[in-house]
Amino acid sequence: MKTNVRNALAGFVLLALCFGGQLRAEAKAKQVAKIKASAVEVKMISAGELAVPPEFQVALYENLIEQLRKKEVFQRVYRDGDQTARNSENLVTLQCGVVKFKKGNETMREVTTIAGATSMTVRCEFRNKAGDLLLSRDISGKVRFFGGNLKATSDFAKKAATVADENFSSAAAGS
Amino acid sequence: MLMVKSVLIAVAVFVFNPLIRVSQAQQAQTETQATQVIGLAGLKQNTKGKLTVVNGTLRFTHDHRNVEVTAASIDDVVTGKESQRVVGGTFGTVASLAAPFGSGSVLPLFRKKVDTLTIQYRDADGALHGAILTLPRGKADAIKKELVAKGARTSIPIKEDPKKNSADSREEKP
Repeated sequence: MKTNVRNALAGFVLLALCFGGQLRAEAKAKQVAKIKASAVEVKMISAGELAVPPEFQVALYENLIEQLRKKEVFQRVYRDGDQTARNSENLVTLQCGVVKFKKGNETMREVTTIAGATSMTVRCEFRNKAGDLLLSRDISGKVRFFGGNLKATSDFAKKAATVADENFSSAAAGS
Repeated sequence: MLMVKSVLIAVAVFVFNPLIRVSQAQQAQTETQATQVIGLAGLKQNTKGKLTVVNGTLRFTHDHRNVEVTAASIDDVVTGKESQRVVGGTFGTVASLAAPFGSGSVLPLFRKKVDTLTIQYRDADGALHGAILTLPRGKADAIKKELVAKGARTSIPIKEDPKKNSADSREEKP
């Protein structure tokens, strides 16, 4: 009986070690796959043919810059048109365009809790200095229950910064 | 004696004329309470303060600190009313942003109607900034007019209020 328990425990520990090792290896592989970039220039959000209010575009842009700075994915985050970005090595450009937009109604949201949600989908494209596409993702932003319509822009910005964090690394840039 | 008096008055008018002009210019400035929702450099979101246009500069004052944006550096200035006219939707939808996200949302029906002013401007390095301000209803138009008069650019030209125009035309009738 005692031997059985001991064997089971040993087996469990062995399994845990193997599984842990595999996870670590996967995480390492993921880290290796990250694109090296030390700086990003965030372009103004384009609305294309969609009727997106200017306040939403500005809020998307400002929140995106704030969240990218907070996450510290890149050493430097430049604004659209910043002349000092030209000298930056490993610079990537982030161009976002709204591809879907549904403006909700805050009062409706709070009264009904099922209607009036604001939602948007923004296509984010990261390009290198030569203009080659490095990464493209459609990221959504939503506000369902409480908060102003512009809260959807904050939701989008947080998700976009997470995507950048998962795919870019500034630590090994230039080395 | 009368001639000396009139010369003196003429000289006084001539000398003090610039002062009169200055005081008129100061009267033309618009000062209003405002909330900076997002975007003005160095300020937290939803900061309350005073908004003025002084000598061609948009000035937001909060806690004895000024944040200034020159009219010439403004690439675009749009009011909430114009945004609604062009895009559609409910006027004053960002009003609730004057309060932090979600707070005060229990009583949406008691919110004050406000207007918004959205500006896009460039700093000395050419970097683009965007800022959203909320102001008491009707104040945004006056601020925009002053900024545009001082060199700010706009993607939506100022449209005269049709009600005001019709009132003026009625007054002009004999």
